[in-house]
Amino acid sequence: MSETTVSYSVDGTMSAILSAKQVTKSYVIGDRQMAVLDSVTFDIYSGEFVVIMGSSGSGKSTLLSVLSGLDQPSQGRIYIDGVDVTDWSEDRLAPIRNSTFGFVFQSFHLVPSLNALENVAFPAELRGDKESRQRAQSLLERVGLGGRTTNFPHQLSGGEKQRVAICRALINRPKIIFADEPTGNLDSKNGAAIIDLLIQLHCERQTTLVLVTHAPEVAEHAERVVTLADGKIVKDERKGK
Amino acid sequence: MTLLHLPFIRRQLATTRSQSLIFLLCVALSMVTLVALRGFGDSVDRALTRDARALIGADVVVQSNFTFDPAVDAAVAAIAARGDAETVRTWEFYSVVRRSGEDSSLLSNLKVVEAGWPLYGSAGLSAVLAPGRIIVEQALLDRLGVQVGDALRVGDANLTIGGLLTFEPDRPTTFFALGPRVLVDAADLAALNLVNPGSRVTYRWLLKAADPDSVDALAAEIRAVAARDFVRVDTFRTARTGVERFFTNFLFFLSLVGIFTLMLAGIGIQSSLTAFLRERHGTIAIARTLGASSRFVMANFYLVVLLLGTIGALLGIVLGLMLQWTLPTLLSGFLPPDIELLISTRAVVESALLGLVVVLLFTFLPLYRLEGLRPSYIFRKEEPPIVNRLPFALTLALILGLFTALVIWQLGNVRTALWFAGGALLLLLIAALLTEAALWLLRRWAVRWLPMRQALRGLFRPRNGTRAIVVTLSTALGVLFCIFVIEQNLRASFVQSYPPNAPNVFFLDIQPDQRADFADALGMEAEYIPAVRAALLAVNGEEPRRNPEADERGSNDGTDESEGDAGRRALQYTLTYRDTLAESETLVQGSSLFGLAQELHAVSVLQETADARGIAVGDLLTFNIQGVSLDATVTSIRKQDTESVQPFFGFVFAPAALSAAPQTIFTGVRVAPEQIAPLQNRMVAQFPNVTVIDVTATLAQFASVVQRITQVVRFFSAFSILAGLLIVVSSVYATRLARVQEAAYYKVLGATSRWVTAVFALENVLLGLFSAVLALLMAQVAAWALMTWLFDLEYRFLPFASLAMIATTIAAVTLVGMVASVGILRSRPINFLRLQTENE
Repeated sequence: MSETTVSYSVDGTMSAILSAKQVTKSYVIGDRQMAVLDSVTFDIYSGEFVVIMGSSGSGKSTLLSVLSGLDQPSQGRIYIDGVDVTDWSEDRLAPIRNSTFGFVFQSFHLVPSLNALENVAFPAELRGDKESRQRAQSLLERVGLGGRTTNFPHQLSGGEKQRVAICRALINRPKIIFADEPTGNLDSKNGAAIIDLLIQLHCERQTTLVLVTHAPEVAEHAERVVTLADGKIVKDERKGK
Repeated sequence: MTLLHLPFIRRQLATTRSQSLIFLLCVALSMVTLVALRGFGDSVDRALTRDARALIGADVVVQSNFTFDPAVDAAVAAIAARGDAETVRTWEFYSVVRRSGEDSSLLSNLKVVEAGWPLYGSAGLSAVLAPGRIIVEQALLDRLGVQVGDALRVGDANLTIGGLLTFEPDRPTTFFALGPRVLVDAADLAALNLVNPGSRVTYRWLLKAADPDSVDALAAEIRAVAARDFVRVDTFRTARTGVERFFTNFLFFLSLVGIFTLMLAGIGIQSSLTAFLRERHGTIAIARTLGASSRFVMANFYLVVLLLGTIGALLGIVLGLMLQWTLPTLLSGFLPPDIELLISTRAVVESALLGLVVVLLFTFLPLYRLEGLRPSYIFRKEEPPIVNRLPFALTLALILGLFTALVIWQLGNVRTALWFAGGALLLLLIAALLTEAALWLLRRWAVRWLPMRQALRGLFRPRNGTRAIVVTLSTALGVLFCIFVIEQNLRASFVQSYPPNAPNVFFLDIQPDQRADFADALGMEAEYIPAVRAALLAVNGEEPRRNPEADERGSNDGTDESEGDAGRRALQYTLTYRDTLAESETLVQGSSLFGLAQELHAVSVLQETADARGIAVGDLLTFNIQGVSLDATVTSIRKQDTESVQPFFGFVFAPAALSAAPQTIFTGVRVAPEQIAPLQNRMVAQFPNVTVIDVTATLAQFASVVQRITQVVRFFSAFSILAGLLIVVSSVYATRLARVQEAAYYKVLGATSRWVTAVFALENVLLGLFSAVLALLMAQVAAWALMTWLFDLEYRFLPFASLAMIATTIAAVTLVGMVASVGILRSRPINFLRLQTENE
């Protein structure tokens, strides 16, 4: 496997920590081939808060999966900190998923057999962090769930589950957090609270936040909004802070 | 609305293939051993009936352990003279044969036959038996290092080995015998000089009736003149041969193992069907939402189950018949020659009906639950509440009833059947309680090591079937382990731990007039014990109490060949006389062995004999010693240490009562193993009539027979373990989604495939470990109880074998569990996440 190192710079100060170059993703359904992403080229810079928008089926979640290494592109390359990771195996990507990336999903995806504290501590425990429990505890307290640490996922409300998922995404101090429709399963009040929390944490920790949503009100908070339609980037808008 | 929708049914069968296959295999497994055993049993029965004449070697057999009364000989001679039957005489006994002119000898099982033997069937002889020639088994050539054509010293005669004996129609080749067979022509009997009064010889007259319809009349004619107590007259229809007894008992036991497998496979059927139906919940919910009635759902799924059950049952029958064909190999040597294996229609029909009942019973509950299933529960992924517990209770009662009925059917004895059924259910109950206790503890086990903690959590994931797996596996393994532990314990007690100072060579049939010379020749201190053969005729003037079951099994108190045909034959015992208690004996009743008076006709009775025959101190016993009647009063009851190697005598007389009776003497000495052969050679050269038994060699041979039998039992018990392993696979498939979810989450959060594999492997290791430990616990307790209370022998824990059993179980469960999980471990997390998103 060849690893190509590339460097990008914007105004000489920011460098791309994640790049997609001519990325295409297509699926074969029956005897039809469907292109979900079509030659997408796209950079994400350190500390950015990027919102990927688009209507249902526009390819935004697929783009997030490909960018985060959960899925492989059919064509094109993915670079993390300039390193081509397109062909990396699942196991080679594992430490990156564990420590460089954090994930927040629409369906929360908490491990059902673990309580809130254990769910949050899990990625830190995987890397052998001896302080994992204490750090998980303080993160949960930070998001107002200090009293629910021993509750299992089925004992938590949607908003609480998502806060646990956010803590879990943050525990290893990742460079990038990928949030795929984090408010999709929540009511508007809880949804707003979760967006506020993500933005607060992004500001506090200078973490890059890549958030997929189809809700315009969420996009209002972003520094950069990338809009997809039919698998292509149709707009890439940068706003001042 | 039509009730059945064939495309719907076809689709249900086409999808969920893994669970369908496991369900099908469970159904097949429930039947396979019973089909095989019942078919094989029928084949053996048929062969035994077909070859009944060959197996006993005659139409009528007249048998006695004493020289025949002249009236019997006269009656047989009269029949022969009339031309009503061909007759042949045989004499069977043990004796030591020697290489002529050399110092090697061997205890052999001699059969002296008149010309014309065998009357039915044919013996496998490589040469014709003739005067001066003997025909022997290969084992004799091997052990004595002789060849055909060499001469052997048998008793006082020198006889030439004329050929080899490969089989006899009336004796299976590997039945337990103290020595290899030697066939001798009756013309040489006198020259042997081995048949003397009091010798342990079985005398037989064999008759082949000229008219097959006259068999009963001929038997009655001889019976009329025979002394009822000492002569047994049987026809080929009434005789129960050793082969028949062996197979009745052995197949009976294997059938119990078969029933046990059936019950465990039943749990597998229920478990896999539940998993199968759960995978269909989505389809059911949609069908119900679109207006399908619960009757439609039930009817269609009943048909699905019935179709799968039928295929499974057919598979079970085919596999059972195939298994039946392997049984002759497993049981080679125990079987009559030329057994013809048949496809028994009765066995197939009975097994098919049984399979149907089992499928209906064990599938009822999972199907019944469908009725209460509302689409809303499925869409919300909730478990439907159990509204009515009555069907559950009724099904459970029916299953218990079926189980008991099956056992009664197999055993034909309600009392024993209820004991077995109760025992098996108790075993399941204990296994369930122990499993519950173990899981309770596990739940509270705070583990720090992450993979182990996740593995433990996995055991408690919903629908994991951990309980069903552990209960089934631990019960099946418990039985298997128990058989193994007992076999090893018995081997250790009898073979390996033969008491160091106990005699290892016994000399039997020493004539009273040889005693002084024998003692001089032996040159060692030894106890000489007289043995008098007699029949117990009456207790206080009445017939002694009979115990058919104990008589059938045989006992340990000197009773001779009890054949279980109560009323036809006297209870024969070997009596002895002495005036003191043996070292291993203690008095249970009475102040001394023969009371203060030292009565002339006083007798001390062994406790087991007294219990079996209903004898108490003060009772008057009537014996018959070779035609002479002897009355004796019971003066004491003794008991004897069961681990003692002292001979057990049911009745010990005061010397004055028996010293003049016809008797033989036996003795035993302890010699170094390498000295046994020279001693045997020396003593037999001087006293050809004396039988020498090397106990250690005999025990080793006994152990090898026991080992072969337990191997067959283990083979059949292994089928019950298959049921447990199928439930493991079923459980993996039932929780496939949960496992895929766990694997996906672990990988998304940064776990490597190796880590995920480790967690799943550990989960299976835990499952195997707990099943094995519980099984071993139950097996050890049961083995301890049996060894202590039933066999009255020392119990050994067998730590290394126990560890090996645990390790093997863990390896098997882990292997099966991991093979079933390969697909899950390989799947990429995105596939699951995408599926989840689509389902939202």
